[in-house]
Amino acid sequence: MIDTHRGWNMSIKPTVLGLFFSLVAIVASYRIVNHYHFSNHVLVWEILILACVQTTLQLIFFLHIGLEARPRWNTLMLLFMIFLMFVLVGGSIWIMHHLDYNVMPPLDQL
Amino acid sequence: MRDAKVSPHQVMSHTDQGEYSRTIFGFWVYLLTDFMMFAALFAVYVVLRKNTLNGPGPKELFDLRSALVQTLVLLFGTFFVGMAGVYAHRNKRRKTLLYFGLTFILNSLFLWLMVSDLRRLIEMGQTWKNSGFLSAYFTLVATFGVHVAFALLWTIVLLVPVLRGGIELFSLRRLVCLRMFWQFLNIIWIFIFSIVYLLRGIP
Repeated sequence: MIDTHRGWNMSIKPTVLGLFFSLVAIVASYRIVNHYHFSNHVLVWEILILACVQTTLQLIFFLHIGLEARPRWNTLMLLFMIFLMFVLVGGSIWIMHHLDYNVMPPLDQL
Repeated sequence: MRDAKVSPHQVMSHTDQGEYSRTIFGFWVYLLTDFMMFAALFAVYVVLRKNTLNGPGPKELFDLRSALVQTLVLLFGTFFVGMAGVYAHRNKRRKTLLYFGLTFILNSLFLWLMVSDLRRLIEMGQTWKNSGFLSAYFTLVATFGVHVAFALLWTIVLLVPVLRGGIELFSLRRLVCLRMFWQFLNIIWIFIFSIVYLLRGIP
């Protein structure tokens, strides 16, 4: 039998596991925001890390990334996309954070 | 291989196998470029989030409970599309149709909830014309909504041949692409839920 994803395409278990982990992550991040009091800095990191963990789990359990036969082009392309995303999003936020509010005076002082 | 009958995937010849993998890979590359587009929109949103022009900000406008309901509806839709993919690979036509149907219903419900949230904002007078923050928000969420609407349309188009005949290799390949598209949309929504809705109160 030819199966490029170790039988995961034919098995229900990964899908159910993906649902379970995603539910845990969603409920956890919702509770963290509503029921606990963290400083803003900690809160941002907690929510972003939970989102990244959930994304990784969904990529593995739903999209079967990283399970394809070698050479793993799908995974390589994903890693390159993540690198580009860091440059684009991280770079934009970094530049704007240092540029916008330091150069422009507040509106009422114009 | 369990109770599965002979699936199209099992009887694939070597050439078919290569074509199947190439199609999936090509579609995956398209999805990654779509990820990049959403990444740019996220960057715009994060940068413009504070530019409310003295109007109400994310904290006053967004309803977290409604966002949670939307997230759960979309997650279960994505779960069902995963099940549909499994049954398509096992060549079980009825169950494939059932689960794709469930996905269609849940994701239509999601789109309806999302659009009524946007309508609520517009009726309050908070449109994309008001401020940089609202422009970025409407662009991000509406782009997502357009993706969902097209995926719903695509689901109907793909289910017609399955309804008429069986699942041969050609339609299996297309169904797997559709499955990947829904799962990709759910991953984008994780970040909309986290960055736009959960972190709305960050000054």
